[in-house]
Amino acid sequence: MNRSVSDSPSAPAPSFYLPDFCATQTVLAVVLIAELVALVLTLAREELQYGFWIDLARTSLFLLWIGLSSAAVLCYTRPVLARMSVQRASAVSLGLLVAVTLVISEVTFWLGQRWFGGLQSAMGSLFPINHATFLLRNLFIAFIVSALALRYFYIAHEWRRTVEGRARLRIDALQARIRPHFLFNSMNTIASLTRTNPAQAEEAVEDLADLFRANLRETRTQIPLKEELEVARLYQRIEELRLGSRLKVKWNVQALPMDTLVPSLVVQPLLENAIYHGIEPLPDGGTVVVSGTRAGDNLELSIANPVQKQPGGLAHAGNRIALDNIRERLELAYHGRARLDVENRGDEYVVKLTFPLVPRAALQ
Amino acid sequence: MKVLIVDDEPPARERLKRLLEEIDSFEVAGEAANGTEAIALAGRLAPDVVLMDIRMPGMDGVEAARHLGQLDEPPAIIFITAYDEYALRAFDTHAVGYLLKPVRREKLADTLTRAARLTKPQLAAIVKAAAPRARRSHLSVRARGELRLIPVEEVLYFLADQKYVTIRHRGGEDLIEESLKSLEDEFDPDFLRIHRNALVAVRHIASIERSGEGQYSVRMRGIETDLPVSRRLATDVLRRFRG
Repeated sequence: MNRSVSDSPSAPAPSFYLPDFCATQTVLAVVLIAELVALVLTLAREELQYGFWIDLARTSLFLLWIGLSSAAVLCYTRPVLARMSVQRASAVSLGLLVAVTLVISEVTFWLGQRWFGGLQSAMGSLFPINHATFLLRNLFIAFIVSALALRYFYIAHEWRRTVEGRARLRIDALQARIRPHFLFNSMNTIASLTRTNPAQAEEAVEDLADLFRANLRETRTQIPLKEELEVARLYQRIEELRLGSRLKVKWNVQALPMDTLVPSLVVQPLLENAIYHGIEPLPDGGTVVVSGTRAGDNLELSIANPVQKQPGGLAHAGNRIALDNIRERLELAYHGRARLDVENRGDEYVVKLTFPLVPRAALQ
Repeated sequence: MKVLIVDDEPPARERLKRLLEEIDSFEVAGEAANGTEAIALAGRLAPDVVLMDIRMPGMDGVEAARHLGQLDEPPAIIFITAYDEYALRAFDTHAVGYLLKPVRREKLADTLTRAARLTKPQLAAIVKAAAPRARRSHLSVRARGELRLIPVEEVLYFLADQKYVTIRHRGGEDLIEESLKSLEDEFDPDFLRIHRNALVAVRHIASIERSGEGQYSVRMRGIETDLPVSRRLATDVLRRFRG
């Protein structure tokens, strides 16, 4: 059975900052804002025409009309706005809100003139009389209140993103650590080698130290591909001591430009996964194939390992966490221009990394 | 005292062997690289103690311990692991002997002298903690003091009798002392209950025949026997087989 999973590195997408105005909660917030503004406007008025409550009711009605219409417009245009840049979307939303205010003010004025204007009734005098002043005043208020509201939504959104980002970084740090199994097994191998082959034990300690140093580097560091592959080879050497002839790794990476910069620790964890989930469960072992090609401005690296045929089928939760982590770091480094694809071909599991070539000179 | 070392990593076995040389009154009887090998050797060598790595390819240490427990004179088992949080907690609670890698010599000597056979409750607790690999890869039957392993994928069906369960597999028929219910729970969804006394391997079903008034029977691949499907389970069986 051929199953192919492919998705771009977009863990939590940088979502649009405006809330969904179709949601009841947001509509409720809009009503609340409209009422508060109405209250402020009525309180600030020095001469009340008909007493506080009637003035408040009149202003409320008018503002609710504007508020709910604005919510409807934003609800409808949000998908379009979400595709724009933050600045552009903000400017367009502000324009829309002011336009809604303009239209509703105009309709209100027109209603007053047409139906009640002629009558010298109480109803008639509830409507504005001076056209220009009425419109201009409303537009200014709409502009200021909308700008404040947009700013509020933006800051609230940014704050939430920072909180989420911090939580993610903590998980990052946790996942970047080497598997405890690997650490203790390696120590055990070294303990065994100290008597039987001291020279090899010494080498293994050096390799382990370098591997840990690489793991302790900040996860955002960019390093030349050559160094990244070297870290993966350190790992391979340590595992070879432990697994003996069961582990074979084939490297087809000669064609790659070794000085291109890559985020650190993207290849080694993939090799680690391939060995841990692919080779270790096989009694007779197998071969992991690492191949790299250059495709235009992109670099493609794939790591393939054999899959154990198992009736039950184990879910590899650990594997997915490592892949998510790499995806996120690729996203941070390349902003959507890199991808990580996983392909399960039944008897073979292939992880493919694609990312843009960044020559060293470009960053200096 | 004879010790059997079971670990898939050559350097790990090497080290245990060397440490054991330095401990009096214990000698290495043999080495195995996985659970299946360990069971074959245990029958032949009759070791007193087995040093058993948990994480191994093929059959892991926990399953091997389960099978060894079926022997008339089961060996004492000491588990060895690099890092298994859940298993360790179960070992501590149930006083099961274990060692951590890298193994210390004093600790090894101490644990060996106190090594004891696993009791049934101890085994059950370890199996539970070792999930999700609690499902066995093999079933074991006793034959002349040794264990014979039957790979689960070769089992066609289980048939319950008064006291025993008959396993019909590619290599013939055998009796085991397990309940059909526990087998059903362990191997779900690969095995399907078609009757109060029958559990069949879904992968080996050849066809489902209608043999009369709402009466169905299951035909297994490669054998002549037809197994009747109970009326109560007929709908379930048909749905599983067709879906």
